[in-house]
Amino acid sequence: MIELKDIVVQFGDFTALHNINVHVKEGEFFTFLGPSGCGKTTTLRAITGFVEPVQGSVHVAGRDITRVPIEERNIAIVFQSYALFPTMTVYDNIAFGLKIRRLKKDEIDRKVRAIAKKLDLSDEQLKKAVSQLSGGQQQRVAIARSLVNDPDIICMDEPLSNLDAKLRVQLRNELKDMQKNFGITSIYVTHDQEEALTLSDRIAVFNKGYIEQIGTPNEVYNHSATEFVCNFIGDINRLEAPLVTALRQKGMKLDPAHSHYLRLERLSLGEESASADLILPGVVESREYYGLYIKYSIRLDGQVIRAIEKNDGVHIHEPGEQLNVGLMARDLMRYDAQGKAVTA
Amino acid sequence: MTAMRARGEKRGGLRPAFLLKLFGVGFFVYLFFGFMLLPTLNTLTQIFTAKNPTTGATDPWAVIRFFLAGSMSKYLWNSVKLAVLLVVTVNVVGVSLVLLTEYFDIKGANILRMGYMTTLIYGGIALGTGYLFLYDSNGIITTLLINAFPGMNPNWFSGFRAVLFTMTFAVTSNHMLFLRNAIRGIDYNTVEAARNLGAGPLRVLWKVVFPTLLPTMFSLTVMTFITGLCAMSAPVLLGYDSINPEIVRLAGSSVADEAFPQARAALLSVILALFTIGLLTILSAYEKRGHYLSVSKTKARLVKQKINNPIANALAHIYAYVLFVVYMTPVVMIVIFSFQTHSAIQMKTLDFSNWTLINYVGQQDFSYLTSRGVHRVRQGAISGVFSNEATLGGIRTSFILSALAAAAACVIVVVACNYIFKRNKKGKLRRSGAVLEYSLLFPWLLPTILICYSYRIYFNSNDIWYVANQNLYYMENVRLLIIIAYMVVKLPFSLRMIKASFYAIDSELEDAARSLGAGGLTTFLRVKLPIILPSVLAVFALNFNALFTEYDMSATFASSYGTSYAMVLQSMTREEGLYGYNVNATGRRNASTVFIMLVSGLILYLVYGIGSRDLAERLQRRDKWRKRWDKMKGPFVRRKASMVNEQQNLIDIKDVAADFAGAMR
Repeated sequence: MIELKDIVVQFGDFTALHNINVHVKEGEFFTFLGPSGCGKTTTLRAITGFVEPVQGSVHVAGRDITRVPIEERNIAIVFQSYALFPTMTVYDNIAFGLKIRRLKKDEIDRKVRAIAKKLDLSDEQLKKAVSQLSGGQQQRVAIARSLVNDPDIICMDEPLSNLDAKLRVQLRNELKDMQKNFGITSIYVTHDQEEALTLSDRIAVFNKGYIEQIGTPNEVYNHSATEFVCNFIGDINRLEAPLVTALRQKGMKLDPAHSHYLRLERLSLGEESASADLILPGVVESREYYGLYIKYSIRLDGQVIRAIEKNDGVHIHEPGEQLNVGLMARDLMRYDAQGKAVTA
Repeated sequence: MTAMRARGEKRGGLRPAFLLKLFGVGFFVYLFFGFMLLPTLNTLTQIFTAKNPTTGATDPWAVIRFFLAGSMSKYLWNSVKLAVLLVVTVNVVGVSLVLLTEYFDIKGANILRMGYMTTLIYGGIALGTGYLFLYDSNGIITTLLINAFPGMNPNWFSGFRAVLFTMTFAVTSNHMLFLRNAIRGIDYNTVEAARNLGAGPLRVLWKVVFPTLLPTMFSLTVMTFITGLCAMSAPVLLGYDSINPEIVRLAGSSVADEAFPQARAALLSVILALFTIGLLTILSAYEKRGHYLSVSKTKARLVKQKINNPIANALAHIYAYVLFVVYMTPVVMIVIFSFQTHSAIQMKTLDFSNWTLINYVGQQDFSYLTSRGVHRVRQGAISGVFSNEATLGGIRTSFILSALAAAAACVIVVVACNYIFKRNKKGKLRRSGAVLEYSLLFPWLLPTILICYSYRIYFNSNDIWYVANQNLYYMENVRLLIIIAYMVVKLPFSLRMIKASFYAIDSELEDAARSLGAGGLTTFLRVKLPIILPSVLAVFALNFNALFTEYDMSATFASSYGTSYAMVLQSMTREEGLYGYNVNATGRRNASTVFIMLVSGLILYLVYGIGSRDLAERLQRRDKWRKRWDKMKGPFVRRKASMVNEQQNLIDIKDVAADFAGAMR
């Protein structure tokens, strides 16, 4: 559906994107994930036409649209700020694109009301100014305005970042349902890994204008292709040299030239560690209570590592408590000196 | 899925957008070179092409020598003296006004504020004539004072002191607008923090509040200095020899009367320009150093400070109300005396039994005794503002010229800002936008009088090809020249204000409109323009108000085809009762001033009161009014409904009767 071929974008002397290649399938929910300034929004803007690449091409449904003007691409965008027109009512905001296309008044009305109904916007809300709506309602208006024009693709640039945590989770689920219902190819930009993992069919992880990995949420989380990805996605322990030496002495096959990582939830604590490949004695240094789970800092042989355990209300370890920490060899993620993943 | 346009579709060539762009570039080049640069350069060259009156040969340094000999430096010195002292007095009064109404807890601050802000609707020549009405040798206050102190000089209100006094109170309107905003923007938490750290109220004011006001005060100081330097209406009315009136005098003088008057006027204009450029350079350098930006994440609203010392509190209240009286007395007196007869005005006494509207509408004959002892009747010698052709003509001329010029300045600046804020492919603002911006700011470097003088000289010719060889200073053409001058003078102010509103447009709105299929023009007209419209209307209103009562420019262009309202007002101070004409000139002048205040106030209300409401507020108000309307018409609707029912019943009965009759037949 969408194909980016060797896209290079430069701002003056600064190269924002280096040979970006992405292929998004029809109907897919595809996320660009990465820290601030990594090039994810620039890639989105290259697709929508707001940024012109100095090299490479953008194809949609096999057609090169690199030089097609923005207004003729039929790609909808939901902005971080929603970019709702403050001088128009909700109705006029949604109808804006239809009026530009010079549709008949009754057809505009029918389409606006139909999309509003699908997105739970009442007739009363359609008459209001956008500033009279809540953040969640505004987001719905922004999506309705994008979808009413029957776009080929919808691009969303951090559309949840302005909302509070609870509403964010609620709208995240609605967004996923909406995408499934409409079946529209969606590109989503975020720096929030949790959002990316929960929403996406596939994720492209960006770093400094390069794509580090493209994969399903499971692939990027459990099989991070690079050291950057494994560090960026989720919380993780980097095993320092003394601990690596200790593990090697206990018979684990580790290459000291490699970097080794272990996710927090893969460590088993106390009695749970009995079935682990390797058990190390440790002392709880501190505890962070998260409700659903508890995060411990545990001093092992030469390094403090972090581990999380489901909060069952019974097995709660106190600081100073001695306990066994178990780990499985298959859970270790290994990277060479260039930061590339190495299979065991 | 809808199809998108195929790649490679031709977008160059003579498309409407390209032609529009070409026209735009041509227009701005024409405007800058034709109406800013060339006339000014012509003035500059005049200085060095003056002809020696005795030899007739060109003498490049003649005017400079004349200036250095000292006969012209008096005007410069007087203007500089006025500007320097005005900076002091205006800042003292202006800062006091703002502190008294916004910072200290003074009882009746809202009423005080309204009084202090009257200069927004009552300034320029109207204010000057108002002060004259009170304080000149025949003024009400002077008359009262002389009755109380017979030895007092009746001409006390003239010359430098009078100009300084009048301008001090006229110019504080900028403080009430800008310094007030600055003080309201102070984060109250910083005041609380300073108090918490042990600072007393005065120390807080000096160390915390004042530093945040300094950038605004500095800008106001520079602007006040320039205003003092370029003062025109007050010196003319109150008799003070400063640069601008001298330039106007010289511009109208001929070689037969004095040595190279035009070249001298040009030199004085250029000296003013040099001062202005110097001051604006200092201001710009200061602004570039950066301001005290608030780093507060959540600003707390300023809470008014109580003055705990009872004596200081009483003194502050007395000072506040004395200022209020100074501001309000002319306004109140002018309103009252606009409803008094000419005899009451001449006697400077209020005649409570004889109120009249004659100063507004209608005409009356006037019977008077000539020097030969003959009684004569001058028909229609007493007339109201709206019945006096000269006054009405001035109003009409000023209204049309000001409205056209204010609108043109806004349109030009809006179009220019739309271009200035467009980004190139690299996402940066274009250099050509910066060039356009500086060219529109260019008139700021030139005193108004220089621009007008330059126009008057340069366009008083049939040889300027780019205005179709028309003499723009000839007969009706002068109106066009005045409109252009008004417009050019207002471009920098309009640009600064409207540009600020463009900054407020979220660039994502433009992106959103384009992604929804809107082209550049549609995006501008349907998305950006509605957002900036309240600001544009506000700028239009401020420009219109300023131009409507403007005196300096119309005095420079003095022509019977361009007699402005301000000039009519000024003439009314001189012609009262002369040979039985214009008997009620002062009354009509007062009525005119009241009319100006009403028009200015109404425009400010429409723009700031109604025009600044956002869509949500407008919709809420509409709903409220609809509900009220429904409630009001409720009984009528019910009655109408019952009448319809009765009629329906009647129709039914008729139908039945007809059917019955038919059946019977």
